[in-house]
Amino acid sequence: MAPSNLSGDVKGADLDLVGRIRAGDGTAFEQLYKQHSTRLYNLASRMTGAHGEADDLLQDIFLLAYRKIGSFRGESSLGTWLYRLAMNHCLDVLRNRQTRMGHQTDSLDEPDAAPVASPVPVVGAVSRIDLERAIDTLPPACRAAFLLHDVEGFGHQEVGTMLGISEGTSKSQVHKARMRIRSYLAHGTKKIEN
Amino acid sequence: MNCADLQHDVLVDLVDGRLDGAEQRNVERHLDGCANCRALVEDLRSIRAAAFMLDRRELRPATFARLQAAIAAEPAPKGRLLDMSLSGRRGRRSPGGGVPVWLGAAAALILATVIGVLPLMNRAPATHDDAAPAAATDAEPEVTVESVTAEFAAAEKHYQKAIDDLQTIANKDTGELDPQVASVLQKNLTVIDQAITESRAALQSQPSNSSAQSGLFDALRSKVALLQQTVELINEMRKGNQAEAGRRFQTLSQ
Repeated sequence: MAPSNLSGDVKGADLDLVGRIRAGDGTAFEQLYKQHSTRLYNLASRMTGAHGEADDLLQDIFLLAYRKIGSFRGESSLGTWLYRLAMNHCLDVLRNRQTRMGHQTDSLDEPDAAPVASPVPVVGAVSRIDLERAIDTLPPACRAAFLLHDVEGFGHQEVGTMLGISEGTSKSQVHKARMRIRSYLAHGTKKIEN
Repeated sequence: MNCADLQHDVLVDLVDGRLDGAEQRNVERHLDGCANCRALVEDLRSIRAAAFMLDRRELRPATFARLQAAIAAEPAPKGRLLDMSLSGRRGRRSPGGGVPVWLGAAAALILATVIGVLPLMNRAPATHDDAAPAAATDAEPEVTVESVTAEFAAAEKHYQKAIDDLQTIANKDTGELDPQVASVLQKNLTVIDQAITESRAALQSQPSNSSAQSGLFDALRSKVALLQQTVELINEMRKGNQAEAGRRFQTLSQ
């Protein structure tokens, strides 16, 4: 599914689906929606922390996709294209939210969490609620990489394509996220040192 | 190997199980003798596993209907998802041949009906959350029997007009709507309309009854679903895809 490994069949199927959407075939757009909506809904919800507004967010993403479908050239898979568009939209939402709240920052990223040195595991059994809360505290850049890789199961090459970063940077961001989550789970948010 | 050699890329590949054999053995030798790194790797693996097992929240069925309505109002990249332009086209065959134009019109009309019903669909049944702040209650228009009835009446008017127009166009262009399709559609609509009538009656006698509210919205959702299935069927007929149209007709008949 990575761009360099995109098979002719996948590329052909994607281009065919896009062609049908552009030709006005409502079932083709529904097919695209059915393939990706649940995953995108969960991703956008966790990415923005806007769990109560995820329906609206998903609608915005698919409307954007509909408007921009003509720009799809098959250089990556249609799924990768759609996720990239979705992540860009989520990052825009976060930037706008920061601006409204007066948190002007040059970067959506933050320094690493201080490492937790312990001779025994500090995390134990990870509860879903604690993990969701920990994800909400992550800086956007590493949250995006973590959600795409660890939650959604994309490879680092795909994550890099979706986020416009290198494969190595994807690994770095995923590691940063895991370390921050470990710190959160070990100490709680108040003790995370930036 | 020492602790400093466990850089992020090695740790990520280790936790993801992507180190090659030699590297893996090298790291494991270090972990055997270093409790801190062993604990770190164990924690990272726990986090990785928990992340992969996170719940997947399901979408509400009405979400796609809302999206369809929004897209119907969009200028398409190349044409619309459904051709909403009917003027001057009634009574002609489609350029592709074989598929009557009235089917496209029918799709548009039924979609317009779905859009008419959508404001009701997007409103969740009233709930009574004592802990909710008053401001939140003020922010949303109150759902009353009158408001639901008025909105439903408006939606029903759209619906009836769509059906009437559909029948007129069908009669003009083809002489008749396929009797089997029309019969099944009418039968299902009758059942759903009966459920809506009963739900509205229950709601009027017990306005705050959450079961009655849910019943009304469930019946309305069923109506939207039926209309959506009809739109899908019509789309397939427009494309001349008889096999898929047949399958969707079977769905409609269930």
